[in-house]
Amino acid sequence: MDKILRVEKLCKDEIIKDVSVGVNQGEMVAIMGPSGSGKSTLLYNISGMDQPTKGKVWLKEQEITALSENDKAKLRLHQIGFVFQQMNMMENLNILDNILLPAIQANKEKKKERTEKRELIDEAARLMEKLSISGLEKRKITEVSGGQLQRACICRSMINHPEIIFADEPTGALNKGASEEVMNALMSLNREGTTILMVTHDSRMASRCGRIMYLLDGQLQGELMLEDCPKDSFKQREEKVNQWLAKMEW
Amino acid sequence: MIGRLLWNDIRNHKLLSFSTVIFMAASSLFISLAAVLLVGLLGCVDDLMEKAVTPDYLQMHAGDIQTEKIKVFAREHAEVEKWQVSPFLNLENSSVVLGNRSLADSTQDNGLCMQSDGFDFLLDMNNVCPVVEEGEVYVPVCYRSLYELNIGDKMQIGSEELIVAGFIRDSQMSSMMASSKRFLVCKEDYNRIKKLGEEEYLIEFLLKEKTDIDSFAADYGSAGMDANGPAITKPLIRMMNALSDGIMILVILLVGIGVLLISLLCIRFITALGVEQDRREVGMLKALGIENKQIRFLYLSKYILFSFVGALLGFWGAGILERPLSEKLRELYGVSNKGLFSVAITILTCILIQAVILFFIRHVLKKIEKMSALEALFPVQTQGKNKERSQYVIIGLVVAACMVLTLIPQNLYSTISSSQFVSYMGIGDAAIRMDVRQSENIGEITENLLEELSYDSDVLKYVALKTVSCPVILADGSQVNLIVETGDHSVFPVKYAEGSHPEKEGEIALSVLQAQDLGLHVGDKLELIYSGKSKIAVVCGIYSDITNGGKTAKMSNLSSGGNTDDRVMWSILYVSLKDNVHTEQWMKKYTCPGVDIVDIASYVQGTYGPTIKQIEMAKLVAMGIALLIIMVVVMLFMRLMIEKKRYCISLQKALGFNNVSIRTDYFIHGFVPITVGALMGVLLGNIFGESICGQILKSLGAYGFHFVIRWEWVILIIIILMVTAAAAVSFGTLEVKKIKAYECCMRKE
Repeated sequence: MDKILRVEKLCKDEIIKDVSVGVNQGEMVAIMGPSGSGKSTLLYNISGMDQPTKGKVWLKEQEITALSENDKAKLRLHQIGFVFQQMNMMENLNILDNILLPAIQANKEKKKERTEKRELIDEAARLMEKLSISGLEKRKITEVSGGQLQRACICRSMINHPEIIFADEPTGALNKGASEEVMNALMSLNREGTTILMVTHDSRMASRCGRIMYLLDGQLQGELMLEDCPKDSFKQREEKVNQWLAKMEW
Repeated sequence: MIGRLLWNDIRNHKLLSFSTVIFMAASSLFISLAAVLLVGLLGCVDDLMEKAVTPDYLQMHAGDIQTEKIKVFAREHAEVEKWQVSPFLNLENSSVVLGNRSLADSTQDNGLCMQSDGFDFLLDMNNVCPVVEEGEVYVPVCYRSLYELNIGDKMQIGSEELIVAGFIRDSQMSSMMASSKRFLVCKEDYNRIKKLGEEEYLIEFLLKEKTDIDSFAADYGSAGMDANGPAITKPLIRMMNALSDGIMILVILLVGIGVLLISLLCIRFITALGVEQDRREVGMLKALGIENKQIRFLYLSKYILFSFVGALLGFWGAGILERPLSEKLRELYGVSNKGLFSVAITILTCILIQAVILFFIRHVLKKIEKMSALEALFPVQTQGKNKERSQYVIIGLVVAACMVLTLIPQNLYSTISSSQFVSYMGIGDAAIRMDVRQSENIGEITENLLEELSYDSDVLKYVALKTVSCPVILADGSQVNLIVETGDHSVFPVKYAEGSHPEKEGEIALSVLQAQDLGLHVGDKLELIYSGKSKIAVVCGIYSDITNGGKTAKMSNLSSGGNTDDRVMWSILYVSLKDNVHTEQWMKKYTCPGVDIVDIASYVQGTYGPTIKQIEMAKLVAMGIALLIIMVVVMLFMRLMIEKKRYCISLQKALGFNNVSIRTDYFIHGFVPITVGALMGVLLGNIFGESICGQILKSLGAYGFHFVIRWEWVILIIIILMVTAAAAVSFGTLEVKKIKAYECCMRKE
């Protein structure tokens, strides 16, 4: 299978030490580990949000670590989607405008054949429907629930059809019900071919992924493949994850 | 979308947006107002001088006139385009009644003249030459409000009576700083009234363009022409005209610069705070891949909008204030035909000021570029107690700036209106001045007065100083006429920038500008011609003098025992009285024809009265602005600081702190820098203000300028500003009451 993301001997200060990993096209991978193990730092260094002190990262054929700040910004706009734990959105815009924000910016950068705004709105509406948040377009960000807001964030991350979505604890700030909604949304996108790499400390959420990597003190300690488990048998997957985590002294 | 984003941002941050616009508007308003007034002043002065065809060189002369000699001189000088001798009938002030008021207490030399044929026209209020009928008089326009005159009022000169037919603008003598005032009458009336005054002459030259006026003046002096009186040049007339009304503009400009600096300080704080508050959103935009320059543009577009509104408000405000402030200029000099130019200057100044502010904001917004997406999203709490305290420095600086803004005009006012200011005018610290100017026997009247004074038991000390015009031979052999005040200068010594007063024969003290003009220093020698002989005098001192164009000299006596009365242009007696003597009653005793007697305070008031009034108004305006700035800035700052610490305050409340204790804590945080700022402002206002005003006055001939500080006023200003600041801090901390204890529990982080 084609590797969409390749990480080679990545180091970041004393937090990440010589990490080499790869993510295949269409995969959904979770990074787990105890607090302070460097999960988020690894994610930010892989995604180009931060610059590693050593090592290289490729997104397809493009070496992210060699790009300038402006080129990295372009990469984030067109090829990468990001979902944060804190559901960061612009307070002064409604839900629809927040989702459209990266699309309008990307459209502005096109020299020719710009997409009609109507088409962008239709695309946002399609994503919102898919993630079951239709009807919230005109709402302020303070007028929706946490789960709805995080799904709106996922819509925003998807609006420019990225190659990969990076998610940092996407359910970390949500209750059980809202977490389920968000996770279902991510899984549905993955089923359609979007590659997802997420950081989580929730074994239940991690068990929905195809592969789990375990990080301890900035080093990868092991990997668990869940591809052979039936996708709809959540209980079985969860048990397997918990057993593996126990082995990792979680 | 950007429009909606901006609109919502403005709606959600009304106070910040409003304050930013107000600061931008205020900066534009004052500086563009000063610019437009300055353009208006110079414009209308120039227009009037052009229409009146002001002479380039003017020599006043008392005594017989040798017209033939002037004719030859003019013929020999190709640079002379036109010349004329205008008679000026110097009137006895006590014999003139204007409207219902006597001119006895006037410090001006008032006189009659006729309309010239060739140039130096006196213009009516439409800036055209009026036709004067017999029995009519046209009065200098500066007397209209001073003596509450109307057309149809009467002017009494001894037994003669004239009807005020209108008012005139005099391009040479409009300003109250010019010591003479011309009343326009027809030839018949002039000849009839001639016996009631002393005739003098204005020898006037209109020179071709690009003529070096100074070398022409030197030629005139060397040729031994009639020169029994001061000489004046067109640039000096222009400066005197501009200066008397320019001080108010200067104060407005100083206030404008102060407001701009305060605005920049506050805008910097507001912008930085805005970026700080939006830090997470900035981080999110960066994470989404929006480039730095676009994020900066997003912010900048908000400030461009504010700037546009601010510039419009400033333009509008300047337009409203310009009219009343330039009313006096319009009356004295007429309407400048630079209306469109003035509008263009106002617009350009507004744009320039806004460009400076936006450039500054752009610089502040670079902070956004320096933040990485991660730093913005997950700020590391590095802000220690010291950094937080340093933010309070801003209100200290604002209070200091406001204090400076208020103290400079106050100290300038105290200084110019004080009795000590005369020392910069080349006059010693006497109480009374007696001018003997318009008489054929100045010497005799002076001697009589001196005799009377010597018997007067009310008099503490007195001196008579006689002024003569004395030729000086320069290094290149050319001659200039020097106005020399002779007598005992040790009785009421003036302030000497260098050296001391002349004591012995052969010593001469020069005014600063005269010394500069002749290129002489203390110890240098110069060749004078007196009693028909050439004598060498040594420069013994250099003193401040802003009268007679700043160019004068002082000697003890021109020749020991010799009689110099034949060349005396005027003589002035200075007197100081013993304590408990009623000045006005004493002055009445000496009132007689040929003598103008005035107490020095009134003399200063008469000469600088309009300027003093302008500074007084400017000081009140500056005070009002300073109070407004302190109120708005300090209150806004405190509200913003409390908003910034909302979480902490909420937590404090949750832990059981009450409103009073939290507000007291913030009040102390705010009040300490205010106190330090106020003290700093007093120091700067006195030292820095003194050096600014000193530099300006230095260019006019007043060296070694020191503020006369009236501490009772300074302390009152400190108290008023600090009480206002304390009230603003207190109002600002009212925000604490609105913060609820549960808010900290709801924070998502």
